[in-house]
Amino acid sequence: MATTSLPVERETSRTAKAPRRRLGGGLMLLPPLALLFIFLVLPLILVLVYSFYTLNPITGLMQQDFSLQNYKDIVNSSLYLKIFWRTFQIAIVATAVALLLAYPMGYAIGAVAPPRLHGLLLLLVIIPFWTSYIVRTYAWIGILQSHGFLDSLLGWVPGLPTELLYTRTAVIIGFVHVYLPIMILPIFASARNLDRRLIEAAQDLGASPWRTFWRVTFPLTLPGIVAGIVLFFIPTFGSFVTPQLLGGTGDLMVGNVIADQFGEAFNWPFGAALSIVMTIVVIIGMAIFFKFADVDAIYG
Amino acid sequence: MSSEIDVSIRDVVKRFGVMTAVDHVSLDIHRGQFVTLLGPSGCGKTTTLRMIGGFEHPDEGEIAIRGEPMGNRPPHHRDTSMVFQNYALFPHMSVADNIAFGLKERKKPKAEIRERVQEMLRLVELPEHGGRRPKQLSGGQQQRVALARSLVVEPTVLLLDEPLGALDLKLRRQMQLELKRIQERVGITFIYVTHDQEEALTMSDRIVVMSAGKIEQEGSAEEIFERPRTRFVADFMGAQNILDADVVDADAQSARLRFGGGTLAVSEAGLLPGETVGVMIRPEKIQLSADGAGVPATVHERVYKGATMSYQLALADGTRLVADSMHGDHAERFAPGDMVSVTMQPRDLVVLRGVPVQGA
Repeated sequence: MATTSLPVERETSRTAKAPRRRLGGGLMLLPPLALLFIFLVLPLILVLVYSFYTLNPITGLMQQDFSLQNYKDIVNSSLYLKIFWRTFQIAIVATAVALLLAYPMGYAIGAVAPPRLHGLLLLLVIIPFWTSYIVRTYAWIGILQSHGFLDSLLGWVPGLPTELLYTRTAVIIGFVHVYLPIMILPIFASARNLDRRLIEAAQDLGASPWRTFWRVTFPLTLPGIVAGIVLFFIPTFGSFVTPQLLGGTGDLMVGNVIADQFGEAFNWPFGAALSIVMTIVVIIGMAIFFKFADVDAIYG
Repeated sequence: MSSEIDVSIRDVVKRFGVMTAVDHVSLDIHRGQFVTLLGPSGCGKTTTLRMIGGFEHPDEGEIAIRGEPMGNRPPHHRDTSMVFQNYALFPHMSVADNIAFGLKERKKPKAEIRERVQEMLRLVELPEHGGRRPKQLSGGQQQRVALARSLVVEPTVLLLDEPLGALDLKLRRQMQLELKRIQERVGITFIYVTHDQEEALTMSDRIVVMSAGKIEQEGSAEEIFERPRTRFVADFMGAQNILDADVVDADAQSARLRFGGGTLAVSEAGLLPGETVGVMIRPEKIQLSADGAGVPATVHERVYKGATMSYQLALADGTRLVADSMHGDHAERFAPGDMVSVTMQPRDLVVLRGVPVQGA
């Protein structure tokens, strides 16, 4: 059989550099950069400076010196290590529970529901944000307390846990409820962009629905999952209201300790040092996470 | 022609809401053939293809592959494979992993997978591209990867849904020939969906012309082009001259038709006097002369087309006609405004029925 000669095609390169942005684009960046500087960089510098101050042991007033004592106290105390570890555990469990709920929901809205319903369904997801986070957390007290709403509803079922208030479970429930929407949104976005034909192609090549999910749907919605995890984990890790209101004494998190240093103990330098440590821990944690969940590798 | 039937479609109906996409279609597709479902958008060709692949299920009727009724069997339990319109390559996998996808699902050993992926890359002439990502390839290259990904699982039937639609014309023409070459080499039944009649003529062993969910005509490329049975098929295949004619009288083998102020004999059986039919004639089959032996016509326009001269004619009743004549040394030339005489041979006239005629 004669072989037909192949057309020589011009390689279409989509990795080519975008044309240089015009100067106007740079100018437009100025206001947001200024805002970021005033409300993020400047306070952070302030906190960093405070963290090197000390308290005068006699007067209890802040002394503007440069000392690493606060950091030494944190590193040398097993108490803070324990609290960091506990905070990490609570945040991880809450993130995992939230992902189990957010993924099916975000996927269903983005890839199963007809596009004309997207706006309405997303509105329903976001509506809880219209009520203050503290009010909603207080509502959980009424639901979870002993002889509360949940007990009166399900208390008669043998084997179900009752009196959940002031337990680790209550804290997790509170976190999942408060931050679930911000995890659903990025998952929705990646599910909506998923090409239906890729799923059909996988099934056509012999993959069962379950295998199709693992080999195509899941990897292609991974960017949304990664974004959702980050958006959920970070505020959870730094939160102090939820454990304060719903948790017991054994459920206090780093955020509570920091809040106490500022609000109760009036040891701002130590609170500032704890804040800096927490920020560094979160940054390192996220760096490890991004290394592990290499989103760029998915699209090469 | 092989007599074994790979796909048998029996009286299949598919509705979407109030719309009937596929309306009582029956079709047999023989092993090893390149069959094209041809028609305008919305004619039901893609729905028919998707039903064979298992992406849609018939509301009525039955589809059988190699004699086995498919029922509502899902795509991953069918021995078919689809090449999608925009390739549907997995963006998160390399070209080689895309091709290996189906083999991995079939739990083939790693060494065999590697070997067959290389073999496929060679078949589609992309041996060095296995490590690339799909989006690093051009449209034509992606198209070939999609083809390799489907062929490597050795399907009973390969389904192709307008796979060349996104390519430019030059590349399309080259890919048409290449597809045909690959089909002949692998010997698998190809069912190809397109709205492009030229593409269908170039590649197909059989063409099935569809319109409004029904089969208008099925036949070889030559039959479809030379002897269309319906007005729709003639029009869709690009016929330039379709005339309305009334049957004056008819016997068992032939009939006399009146049109455009003249009468002509056709060798067509089964016509009834008084019936209105369409008559198709190819522009190159019309003879023009200056003397008055045929139907009189006026030359409206003359277009020089290189090898031929094309004349736009008007018959006495205003009917338009296009005639192409080779302009050799001896050919007569006519100018706009000239009166000419049109003659057509009965064997060149193709009678078209308004009603769809099914089967071959």
